[in-house]
Amino acid sequence: MHNKTLGETIIAVDSVSKTFDRNVKALQGVSLKVKQKEVVVIIGPSGSGKSTLLRCLNGLEETDSGAIVIDDTPLNEHHRNKLKIRTEVGMVFQNFNLFPHMTVRENIRTGPRFVRKASLEEADRTTEDLLARVGLTDKIESYPRQLSGGQQQRVAIARALAMNPLIMLFDEPTSALDPEMVGEVLEVMKNLAIEGMTMVVVTHEIGFAREVGDRIIFMDEGKIVEENSVENFFANPEKERTKLFLSKILENGGCE
Amino acid sequence: MTFVQGLLAGANELRHKAHLFKIRKPFIYEGLKFLFFSFILVFIAVQGINGLDYRWQWYRMPDYFYKISDSGFIAGPLFTGLGLTLLISAISLILSNLIGFITALFRLSDSVTAVAVSRIYLEVVRNTPLLIQLFLVYFVISPILGIGRMVSAIMALSLFEGAYTSEIIRSGIISIEKGQWEAAHSIGLTGVQTYRRIILPQAFGQVMPMLASQSISLVKDSALISTIAIYELTMQGQVAISKSFLTFEVWFSVAAIYLIINICLSMIIRIFEQNKKRQKNA
Ligand SMILES: Nc1ncnc2c1ncn2[C@@H]1O[C@H](COP(=O)(O)OP(=O)(O)OP(=O)(O)O)[C@@H](O)[C@H]1O
Ligand SMILES: [Mg+2]
Repeated sequence: MHNKTLGETIIAVDSVSKTFDRNVKALQGVSLKVKQKEVVVIIGPSGSGKSTLLRCLNGLEETDSGAIVIDDTPLNEHHRNKLKIRTEVGMVFQNFNLFPHMTVRENIRTGPRFVRKASLEEADRTTEDLLARVGLTDKIESYPRQLSGGQQQRVAIARALAMNPLIMLFDEPTSALDPEMVGEVLEVMKNLAIEGMTMVVVTHEIGFAREVGDRIIFMDEGKIVEENSVENFFANPEKERTKLFLSKILENGGCE
Repeated sequence: MTFVQGLLAGANELRHKAHLFKIRKPFIYEGLKFLFFSFILVFIAVQGINGLDYRWQWYRMPDYFYKISDSGFIAGPLFTGLGLTLLISAISLILSNLIGFITALFRLSDSVTAVAVSRIYLEVVRNTPLLIQLFLVYFVISPILGIGRMVSAIMALSLFEGAYTSEIIRSGIISIEKGQWEAAHSIGLTGVQTYRRIILPQAFGQVMPMLASQSISLVKDSALISTIAIYELTMQGQVAISKSFLTFEVWFSVAAIYLIINICLSMIIRIFEQNKKRQKNA
């Protein structure tokens, strides 16, 4: 979105490193700042550390070194901070990860009820409002397995939104979808961006990045290789590595 | 609705009902097969027993189940034995599930102590005979703790079955994919809430059939506690034989009672599962 005013810094990542199994360097000194209402798109080849970075932001993965501060709360060993950050950062996964034993309604209201301690009526009202927003009011009593991939992902977005988060993280939200369902999910995400949600999105949907993104981050081998405005990133990228990657993905239609 | 659509809908309905008709033929066929083999088996058994020159006295058996006297219904020894078997099994079932559940959580926890305790318990219980465990509890532990025969029996049985239950529950928990934990984490559920709302409902749903067959094992294994003179079904059977010498009749009756208990259990479980399936598909 090119005509909104961004707010204060809400995510601050300072030289974060993460190594798996002693020698897989998933992140190597990554630093990044995201402002309120900003939509940051992360792209990069497979294994470059995009998911790991996202997962560090809500504490799903612990960092080895470096600091992460979310909304002025440092993500450290303090249990209270961790819990607070988890409730302020929503996450949408590639494989939806809906709770299969719960209806759509129960999926969405679980967070408000048991974490926010909302009353049942309140949680139900939130659920109904959110389902209307993602266009699935008629599916409220369905189980996840009765929904298409696109519908499941929209429910997953509603489930994350039910916690009223400050930040939404998306890890390749459309990669597991049939092509004809990608649009409906991107539409929901676009509306969210228009409403001013702070978003960090890992995706290879170039159209979405161009239209909705404020900034693009290109990662490779656990490092941020290039950070650029959307226009510059595609029109005249700074780094050779970026050019190479772009030529590859633009060739075969936006997918790695 | 056009005529063609109507036809198609009708055909579809018929196809759905077809399974109702289909069952019949194999059912009759299987039934005949079953009768045929039962007949052969019974024939061989009767031949064998005739050879032993055993004098059947089935007419004396009802006395061991019940008596009707002036004061009304009096439960016979097999009947009271059945009651005790059911009681002990029910209590042990609850306790073994509790023990199994806690042990599974211990084994999956981050605490080194909890993991060690649970592993030692599992190894010991699963690699020694139930009979020896029963004697250990009854002759060694019960005098120390000052507990009685019944409590010893229930304790030994619960600890034994609990080890197997725990492995079943653990397998259910670890079968839940990582994404479920992560989704629960990302909406801010605490560890306990994640277990309670997300993981355990799914895990138990998956292992229900295995837990059910474990409960059948428990009823069967409970026969062993007759060895420490608990007057449950098997013990009452032995006593009845020593008094009456109706060896065949009593053992056949006792076996039939176990069979009936466990068939009832299986049926309850099946009804339960079908209900669940129907609910799911609704
Ligand atoms: N739990 C884990 N255990 C071991 N190695 C891991 C783990 N998670 C990620 N890695 C490794 O860390 C590196 C970065 O992985 P990551 O998933 O962050 O990449 P990515 O950019 O998201 O890739 P993709 O586009 O395939 O999703 C890879 O080499 C991966 O194999
Ligand atoms: Mg990834």
